[in-house]
Amino acid sequence: MTTPLLRVEDLKARYGPVQVLHGIEFNVFKKEIVVVLGANGAGKTTTLRSISGMVETSGLIEFDGQPTKKLNPSEIVRRGVAHVPQGRGTFPELTVEENLKVGAFIRTDKDIKTDIEACYSSYPVLYERKAQTAGSLSGGEQQMLAVSRALMSRPQLLLMDEPSLGLAPQIVEDLFTRFVTMNQDHGTTMLIVEQNAQLALDIASRAYVLESGEVTIEGRAEELVNDDAIRKAYLGT
Amino acid sequence: MDLLLQRIFDAITNGSTYALIAVAMVLIFKATTLINFAQGEQAMLGAFAVLQLWNWGIPMWWAVIIGMLFSAALAAGLERAFIRKFDPTDHLPLVIITLGLFLVINAIAAIIWRFDPQSFPQLFPSGNAFTYNNVRLSWYSIFAFGSCVLVLLIFQTLLTKTKVGLAFRAVSSNLESSRLSGINIGPTLQFGWALAAAAGTLGASIYAANPVLQIEPSMMLRALIFSVTAAALGGLDSLWGALIGGLTIGFVQSVVVQYIPFIPNEMSLSAAVVVLLIVLTLRPSGVLGTRTVERV
Amino acid sequence: MLQRVQSTNETRSERNYQVAKWACFVISLLLIAFAYVDVGTISIGSNNYNLSLIRLNKAIAYTIAILGLQVVIGYTGQIALGQSFFFGTGAYISAWLIADHSWPFLLTLLIVVPSCFLLGMVLGLPALRIRGLYLALLTFGLAAVFPSIVKLDKLYSYTGGAGGKLTSNYKFIAPAWLPFDEVAQALQKIPLLGGFFGDGPLSTREESRLWKYILFSLIAGLCFWLVHNLIHSRPGRAMRAIRDNETSAATSGVNLAITKTLSFGVASALGGVGGAIYVAEVGIASPDDFSSLVAIYLIVGLVVGGVGTLPGAVVGGLIYALVPDWASSTQSISFVPERWLQGPTGSLILGILLIVLTLFLPGGVVAGWRRLKSKMIAKQ
Repeated sequence: MTTPLLRVEDLKARYGPVQVLHGIEFNVFKKEIVVVLGANGAGKTTTLRSISGMVETSGLIEFDGQPTKKLNPSEIVRRGVAHVPQGRGTFPELTVEENLKVGAFIRTDKDIKTDIEACYSSYPVLYERKAQTAGSLSGGEQQMLAVSRALMSRPQLLLMDEPSLGLAPQIVEDLFTRFVTMNQDHGTTMLIVEQNAQLALDIASRAYVLESGEVTIEGRAEELVNDDAIRKAYLGT
Repeated sequence: MDLLLQRIFDAITNGSTYALIAVAMVLIFKATTLINFAQGEQAMLGAFAVLQLWNWGIPMWWAVIIGMLFSAALAAGLERAFIRKFDPTDHLPLVIITLGLFLVINAIAAIIWRFDPQSFPQLFPSGNAFTYNNVRLSWYSIFAFGSCVLVLLIFQTLLTKTKVGLAFRAVSSNLESSRLSGINIGPTLQFGWALAAAAGTLGASIYAANPVLQIEPSMMLRALIFSVTAAALGGLDSLWGALIGGLTIGFVQSVVVQYIPFIPNEMSLSAAVVVLLIVLTLRPSGVLGTRTVERV
Repeated sequence: MLQRVQSTNETRSERNYQVAKWACFVISLLLIAFAYVDVGTISIGSNNYNLSLIRLNKAIAYTIAILGLQVVIGYTGQIALGQSFFFGTGAYISAWLIADHSWPFLLTLLIVVPSCFLLGMVLGLPALRIRGLYLALLTFGLAAVFPSIVKLDKLYSYTGGAGGKLTSNYKFIAPAWLPFDEVAQALQKIPLLGGFFGDGPLSTREESRLWKYILFSLIAGLCFWLVHNLIHSRPGRAMRAIRDNETSAATSGVNLAITKTLSFGVASALGGVGGAIYVAEVGIASPDDFSSLVAIYLIVGLVVGGVGTLPGAVVGGLIYALVPDWASSTQSISFVPERWLQGPTGSLILGILLIVLTLFLPGGVVAGWRRLKSKMIAKQ
């Protein structure tokens, strides 16, 4: 087996006196889409924030063979981890184009313009609104912008925290189809935290289930879809 | 009628200075939701640096530019040393720190330059640009207002066209996503502090260069209140709002106080505080500011 | 059963300890008074430092005002910076009643307390809408305008304008039944230490000073007792709930409006009492004694003593009364240029204290002392 792009071992995290993660373990391999399922408060968001260096943790997080323990969020972004936070990961007062430019903040190469054009061609609606402020976009458009913003840093790994939150089902479906396209065309590795288990399992290759700060189930997505416990707990059937 | 026109011109003069200090406060508030009570004193210290440079024989406008750079560097240092380690959402320690800076800077200026008022170099041509009956518009007023607009234009360009300016606006807009985009928050806010101090120093220099005023360590105490009110009127988060707020407060100071008989002249400061009270009570987001919904 | 007996024993010894502590405190306050009623200065090098009862009485005035800040900032978490406004209001009301209506000092408090309480509540009303930094801004503005309000021509007959209001027509005369002379002479007879307590019987002026000191200390003690009880009562718990988390306080049934206005009212009343004492000591209410600088110094006192600790107010009052005064009394220190001693050195020191304590000892002197004490106990 090849070395994973992201290796997490015995990860523990706490907010003040409350321990949120009790030593979780999982891997993400290159070009995979991995989904983390779990109820509210299971520690999904904290897991992503730990990987981005936004919370104090103990344990091991290795990205691309290198431990990221001592790095600050900015350095982790530079290593190639992009993160779309929960809610809208956009800058509401900035224009659409400026949002994309902020996404490319860590880059110094000459291709930023080309990437912005590329983003506009895949999301024409963003091109139409490029001079509007992000705050004036609809929820779905903002989520698209947030994802595009994250992609502008040319990440090796894209972390997404509940991308479907607060969006209409049809828009969510469209968004997830795009994730698949992105994954197939550019080989972007994704780690997605979702409540919408059905859709997420459809596009993922593997999944982990997080329950009160511990990984309780892991396996291939197809297997999990057919697992009775999962069906009951997360798919509602 | 003539008198009214004259008062309006006076309003522009004072208003421009208030606007520059207000812009400084807005820059810091926008990014960190912190009100820097030492802003006026930092500006005063910068103006004294300008005076000192001028006394050493450095040409006037070079002295102003070096003075602005000096206070920008100082502010960057202050931010690093005293502000950065605090949680920006916990206001009390930050207010206390800036009050401490207020005392320290004021005392140091008084120790170095004494309390006696000194005359400041004339930054602008003297005399009147325009005289009609009893109405005079001095070159000073025109240049003070012009400098203010110029500074705002420069700042706007800096904030929209440069990478660090973009980062600054991103941090003001969404702190978490800024960190997740790889922006180093500390140095970006430091940039805001430096920019604010430079604006303040220019404001205080223009204020001190007013032919009827002199420079002294306590000159910004009153100006701070007027400027804060100006900033609040503008919503505390808009650069041009600060200019309009500054002009409005200048107008209140020179016109309203003049024309409402039961408000005596020395009440202009109180009038400003009343305006502040009304604005904060009725429209906490300012007359021109963006309304934010507070999430709990 | 055995357990319970033990615990009552413990509370009893605890209570004895408390009583002994307070008795020591009161006795040392009195000893200080008798020791410094005539001497008043201590010399270090070539500098003389004033430690007369005048300074201590001022310290009491500031202490009470800072106690008010403890209520509103320390316990309710509202950043209200304008205590000098109420300090000044109390001072002027008291001065006006004493000078123009020949009221005795204590009686003026009966007017000062309710009027400052009401004024604080009324001015606190906007604070129900204005929060955090905006409140800090507004209250700072309030502090800044106070001198210009009392200088108004319209108010000249009440305030005396820029010249201030003299209250020297009122004399503090010690009641005859107080055995000041006897105590002083008894103290003077103590071997070795007797010299500290001066010579011979006390003059009328000394007696009057002592009387003021004792009277003000009693008022301060009363204020502390009232605030202590308030803090540990139901409204006090509501205040602390607001400080810790306003939203959850509101959701758990705390009436934000009433609690906040109450804390503003109490703080302002205490500010007023402090101001009245200040005027009684100084003999004049003058506009510049109540500038925004005073508001900041009171904040320094709050922070240096320790935000949210009642004893901190005493430390803060002493710091405020002594540091600027002693700094300006310091005329020469070797290796320090004279220029640095002649400027507003006190202000510089207070500013540095404010910054350094906030950075390194957020709980102020009192928290530092407690930490030190617990370390010493742990070592034993």
